[in-house]
Amino acid sequence: MSTHHTKGSVRALALLLVLFLSLSLMFAQGANESAKVQGPVALKIATWTSNPDQIALLNSFVEGFAKEKGLPITATFESIPFAEYNTKLSLELQGSNGPDLFWVLETAAPAFIESGLLAKLNEGMKAYDPEDISADALELWSKGGNVYAIPFSTSPFFILYNKDLFAKAGLKTPEQYVAEGAWNWETFRMVAKTIKDKTGIWGFQTVDGQGYDARVLHNLAPMVRSYGGDFWTDDGQVLINNDASVAAVTLFHSMVFKDASVVPPGNQSDFFAGNAAMTVGQISRVSKLNESSFAWGLAPMPAGPKGESPVIGQAAIGAHSKSKNVALASELVAYMTNKSSVAAMAGIWPPARKSVLESEAFLTSNKSVTAGQMKLAVATSIKSGRVLPSHVKYPQIEVESKMVFDKLWQPNANVKAVLDEVAAVYTKYTK
Amino acid sequence: MRQQTLRMRTRKDAVIGWAFIAPQMVGFVLFVLLPLFSVFLYSLQEKNLLFGTSSFSGFDNFIALAKDPLFAKSLVNTLIFSAGVVPLNLIFSLLLALYLGGGKSGTRFVRSIIFLPVVTSGVAWAIVWKYLLQGGTAGPVNWFLDLIGIAGPNWLFEKGWAMTSVIVTRVMKNLGMNVLIFMGAVLNMPGDVIEAARIDGARRFTLFFRIKLPLLMPTVMMVTIVTIIGSMRVFDTIKLMTDGGPEGSTMVMVYYIYHQAFRMFDTGFASALAVVLFLIVLALTALQWLGRKRISYYES
Repeated sequence: MSTHHTKGSVRALALLLVLFLSLSLMFAQGANESAKVQGPVALKIATWTSNPDQIALLNSFVEGFAKEKGLPITATFESIPFAEYNTKLSLELQGSNGPDLFWVLETAAPAFIESGLLAKLNEGMKAYDPEDISADALELWSKGGNVYAIPFSTSPFFILYNKDLFAKAGLKTPEQYVAEGAWNWETFRMVAKTIKDKTGIWGFQTVDGQGYDARVLHNLAPMVRSYGGDFWTDDGQVLINNDASVAAVTLFHSMVFKDASVVPPGNQSDFFAGNAAMTVGQISRVSKLNESSFAWGLAPMPAGPKGESPVIGQAAIGAHSKSKNVALASELVAYMTNKSSVAAMAGIWPPARKSVLESEAFLTSNKSVTAGQMKLAVATSIKSGRVLPSHVKYPQIEVESKMVFDKLWQPNANVKAVLDEVAAVYTKYTK
Repeated sequence: MRQQTLRMRTRKDAVIGWAFIAPQMVGFVLFVLLPLFSVFLYSLQEKNLLFGTSSFSGFDNFIALAKDPLFAKSLVNTLIFSAGVVPLNLIFSLLLALYLGGGKSGTRFVRSIIFLPVVTSGVAWAIVWKYLLQGGTAGPVNWFLDLIGIAGPNWLFEKGWAMTSVIVTRVMKNLGMNVLIFMGAVLNMPGDVIEAARIDGARRFTLFFRIKLPLLMPTVMMVTIVTIIGSMRVFDTIKLMTDGGPEGSTMVMVYYIYHQAFRMFDTGFASALAVVLFLIVLALTALQWLGRKRISYYES
């Protein structure tokens, strides 16, 4: 009886195996057939913006490129949230359904270049005046004479402020402080505290409200660098725990916990909803204020003891080296960053092309911002600004240092001791 | 002749049986067994997700894991989380089931309210609670506490409170399912046994501890195992409410696996962590299963 049972089970298992193999073959056959299908080329493009106007603009470049090539190309845009961008993108790129083109964050540039996931773009760029792209801007995206991604945005961070709240608190505007040469971090602190004390509204919200987690470097960099400090340098020096960095971080910590003028960790009050008087933004964020209920303005980042040190958020676009359409994708990257494309994007993403950046048209490229504001807060900062530090081990540095930075966001934190621990993490990966 | 017909029918039944479970089996093999074997294989490799590289490294990942302070921390955090979730869930769900099984008025309404979080999306649940638990007086929870003169903490950004918050929100989310299971058991308790105990003079506590609880023990065992396993696999609540912070104080094992695999891109090391978690859950389940006879007298 049990022998029959065993035989039956063996046969059933064999049947299952045959079924499984047949299914595998069917799927494999299907894949072969789909590869033979002739028709429009479908490209997938990954970004961290989900703004429909910005996506439409990017899509118009794809249409222009398709027309130029005489090829039917359809693009699908995949918007991955900023905080999850590197994680999800890496996973997709190693899978079989990764994007053909994708945006790359400056902090992740060395890791992505090293990974071999970015295709070389030298050939595709030749047709579109590569010398026009600032060599400084290209440096981060190149290795061994090859270009792996082209920056489409070299966008400085600046202060966005609520004019109504400044007026209510009886304060001068940041632009007036700039004109007086008094727009520094001490003034910034005083302004934030005055607004909180007089109006009950938070004086400052960190960039996108993520200054305590995903954007801790974006938040601290303008202060730390203008005080003469830094995080780590390309030659392997770790400076986050030197006196200048500690002084800058102490200032911010005091604003959060002593003055109680900054939206604290865990609080979801938002500048764009009128719940904070100032925040840090980029030109691409200004469109969020088009229908705001308050008057607003923008000003450069405050200066520190070592002068101004604006931070530039750089983003590039690259082609996936394992894409089926890698050659076409590389050409599209070059087309999307040619002179006419970057001129069309300039009002949202300030370009790395010298000819566009130096043109009068650039200053009037964003309808929500005056030419004067564009010059003061954007054009000038691009010249003197620096990108955030990057490293091939950046994903590890970011994750591990974030756990240490968490210790800073307590009222009684010892700033120097915490920064010493952060420095130890940086040293572990950068030395 | 008759035996041959019987044999043929048995064979036919077996084929039909296998055919019925074949779709499920294919899914199980493809999406459970294969990944499971892959994890064991990856755990013996130095594998980087971003770089797409892998090479055999023997037990290096397990050796590194034994020396990793974050692994120890995540293990302790998982135990704290389970130690909080499991008893709270069991006690409250059992008490509620006994109350609701009593057929008192308004029980249907209470039952619906308790079950509502179970059918709510875990993501929505976590996001709403993150909003409710904001620090200062910005969050509705602290605003209410402030009304009665209590200064609430920054729930999700202070070490001890962050773990407490995720435990409580998790218990509230899943309580309804266990209440439902216990209610089924409560309603199936033999009424004559309870009636006899009452006639013999058993009062409320004696009735519960000496009669009802032993009768419910097989269900309690099953619910305990399922709740423990569920608590060891927690991810969405942690990811959305605390991101493992502050200072890694809510970094439980599954979150640490995600952290290593998809943020540090160290898939080999993450797989070794997954293997350890698998063995822990397996051991706990086996232990409870083997010990059930000592605790449960009425298991058929």
